[in-house]
Amino acid sequence: MPTINVKLVAAESLYKRDVFRQPDPFAVITVDGSQTKTTKTAKKTLNPYWNELFSLNANEDSILVIQVFDQKKFKKKDQGFLGVVNVRIGDVIHMSLQNSEETITRDLKKLNEHLAVSGRVIIVLSYNLASGTGTAASASAPVAGATAAGASIAAAPASMPPAANGTAQPLDAPPAPGVDAPSNGDSLANRQYSSFEDQYGRLPPGWERRTDNFGRTYYVDHNSRSTTWQRPMADQSETERGQQRENYTEAERRQHRGRTLPGQTPQSPVLSATNSTNNSNSGSVTVNSSGANTPVSAAAAVSMAASGGTTRGLGELPSGWEQRFTPEGRPYFVDHNTRTTTWVDPRRQQYIRTFGPNTTIQQQPVSQLGPLPSGWEMRLTNTARVYFVDHNTKTTTWDDPRLPSSLDQNVPQYKRDFRRKVIYFRSQPALRILPGQCHIKVRRDHIFEDSYQEIMRQTPDDLKKRLMIKFDGEEGLDYGGVSREFFFLLSHDMFNPFYCLFEYSSHDNYTLQINPNSGINPEHLNYFKFIGRVVGLGVFHRRFLDAFFVGALYKMMLHKKVVLQDMEGVDAEFYRSLQWIIDNDITDVLDLTFSAEDDQFGQIVEVDLKPGGRDIEVTQDNKHEYVELICEWKIHRRIEEQFKAFIDGFNELIPQELVNVFDERELELLIGGLSEIDVEDWKKHTDYRGYQESDQVIQWFWQCIKEWDSEQKARLLQFTTGTSRIPVNGFKDLQGSDGPRRFTIEKAGEPQQLPKSHTCFNRVDLPPYTSYESMKQKLTLAVEETVGFGQE
Amino acid sequence: MGPADSPYAGGVFFLSIHFPTDYPFKPPKINFTTKIYHPNINGTGSICLDILKDQWSPALTISKVLLSICSLLTDANPDDPLVPEIAHVYKLDRPKYEATAREWTKKYAV
Repeated sequence: MPTINVKLVAAESLYKRDVFRQPDPFAVITVDGSQTKTTKTAKKTLNPYWNELFSLNANEDSILVIQVFDQKKFKKKDQGFLGVVNVRIGDVIHMSLQNSEETITRDLKKLNEHLAVSGRVIIVLSYNLASGTGTAASASAPVAGATAAGASIAAAPASMPPAANGTAQPLDAPPAPGVDAPSNGDSLANRQYSSFEDQYGRLPPGWERRTDNFGRTYYVDHNSRSTTWQRPMADQSETERGQQRENYTEAERRQHRGRTLPGQTPQSPVLSATNSTNNSNSGSVTVNSSGANTPVSAAAAVSMAASGGTTRGLGELPSGWEQRFTPEGRPYFVDHNTRTTTWVDPRRQQYIRTFGPNTTIQQQPVSQLGPLPSGWEMRLTNTARVYFVDHNTKTTTWDDPRLPSSLDQNVPQYKRDFRRKVIYFRSQPALRILPGQCHIKVRRDHIFEDSYQEIMRQTPDDLKKRLMIKFDGEEGLDYGGVSREFFFLLSHDMFNPFYCLFEYSSHDNYTLQINPNSGINPEHLNYFKFIGRVVGLGVFHRRFLDAFFVGALYKMMLHKKVVLQDMEGVDAEFYRSLQWIIDNDITDVLDLTFSAEDDQFGQIVEVDLKPGGRDIEVTQDNKHEYVELICEWKIHRRIEEQFKAFIDGFNELIPQELVNVFDERELELLIGGLSEIDVEDWKKHTDYRGYQESDQVIQWFWQCIKEWDSEQKARLLQFTTGTSRIPVNGFKDLQGSDGPRRFTIEKAGEPQQLPKSHTCFNRVDLPPYTSYESMKQKLTLAVEETVGFGQE
Repeated sequence: MGPADSPYAGGVFFLSIHFPTDYPFKPPKINFTTKIYHPNINGTGSICLDILKDQWSPALTISKVLLSICSLLTDANPDDPLVPEIAHVYKLDRPKYEATAREWTKKYAV
């Protein structure tokens, strides 16, 4: 019987039986029930890499069986069974040929109904006539076979026929059946790229090409067990590739570190003041009895900025308060009740002046009124008069919403002001850091599970204490840098689609949405709660996550209703079809009911969009309701459970009524921070349609952007691309719903209209405005006031 | 059936049609399972046709889509090719293209 060489390269995505423990997988190989061979045991992994070569005696009708087990459980009843693959040799290689070598990937199968199985194994089967004939199981076979298998991998790019020839000259194309192609005569010539090659040739050893559920191609590196959107280059060595990966992470890290919010820069005096306070007070941010050091808790500093200064109040200080002076002689106030400090004289903040109908001033202690209603903010005019901003209706009033109203017309006009909102938000008592410390110790390479244990074991109040992060085995006290690194690493890990909790939206390659199928992990709701807590923790402690969600998720976090336009960022193709329904008469064209089909792991489940929906026909008259309901289902209802767990976790640290002052774009910035935007790079990688770069309007456009602050720039990006995130390598890597899409300015619309945007295509439609002022005003209005999408 | 006025005449071409769960909001996935020599259809049977991609509309029925595919066989679109080499031959040496297409039809589709 001839000898064949079986190289068991790896298995991947094995089924995870235990929540935290990973199996120690090994494989057992047999041919026709005998010649048993065993691989080494890989430790603690769902993606074992064995890369072991076995020589076996087989003919074309032999059945090769590969079983994967968990070594830790091998003695138990089910022996830690992780799946089996049966392969008929003749289906893969042709022994009638001189040399034959095939790499195949096969899904692992179940042995019985009780044990779930997932993942696949990668095997290289080769047969070399020269060494295989005649001498059955000859001693020299393994050696020769090894060379053959090894050489054929390495030499593959050279001997591979170029893609074009494969199709153009079918007559002499090699009989290389595609991996899963049916193996009849016809399909032999119908050459399909295996997952280890593409039109550019063969991938480097250990790499595999795959397609996700949105049809996007990505690459799996079995050597380092990582995935990437970028095609690996064959001529790179493994170290170079590792280096490239590291450079990329480093670039991401730099970008992450550079993020800020208005009113603070990474090295702003406020923050360093906080740090030095921590330094000398062994980590407690609030100044205790002997407040000789810089008495500025960051919260107090911002409330100082909010009120515009330290104007002195009159009368006695409230009980428990004390006035002190900094070494520079500046007065500040210590509240011994809450052990906090502030620049603001409590006698000024304690009372709100309200103007009654007869313009008599009524004063009332703030403390008796309780917090402002959800979505409201209190501001001061430059004459220090208090007024109230209602972000729900975008109106302002002198009247405290907690008191009976009066009429007065001269209230300042509504203006969206992110900086002010952040300051107000930070100054709220619910966002003060509590006395004490919150210690979190994690291992760098187990950051997800360690953080989960640490963060879920503490109460929300514990988490509001000063954060002290420590990486196991690393020195370094957390004065900001360590926790920044912590949030950076953790956000990469916990949002990794690999865990099936989040997935990338089909709109581009980097905005995240909740994976509707996350229930595959029975613990998923606890994880969502944890992730919600982490997001809240970041906001609370002013650390940014390196993660960006689809716009709809921020809206949901603000309890806003999702609408059709939100669909664009989630699934552009689906959005276009729904828009088509709105725009066209659907009578006798579509046959729909008020129900949706959901694919739950291959099982199609019909879901009613409203009670009895599957029996209600969608007509021209009720189509708007249908579109509304299907959007809500697709974006919200399908992940309702997961989202509820997430927002519950978030609200444990950040009260809902405080977040509500922000709109969804501001919330994105609050969580992810503002990047410094390189306008030159932006300009360099912008395409024009109907315009040229030299056109007056385009010059005005860039002039206007240069004048804007970074928050407004980020808002324009959100308006046009749906997210404020810039690709790590700059604007040249911007992604649209159908692959790379550079920022585009198209000439469209009339000069009196506002600009419009198409987030699917990263495009802004800019009418040919006739003056700089009119363009600036229109562009500002569109970017500032439209939340979501362009207005007609 | 290959259209009569094309080099695919006389051939019987099989297609696989996969309806996604979101159909009709998403286009069906259609592939040739019979091998065919055409600038807009590649070796794996993928079809480059705008209505199966970004020009999809929920109003399109399968019969309309199949009609479009038939007309693609009669009038290829060499300016937006999936297989540039075939498009090249199509543009520069039409008789050679037709001969090869006929030959493939005879070989794989009869």
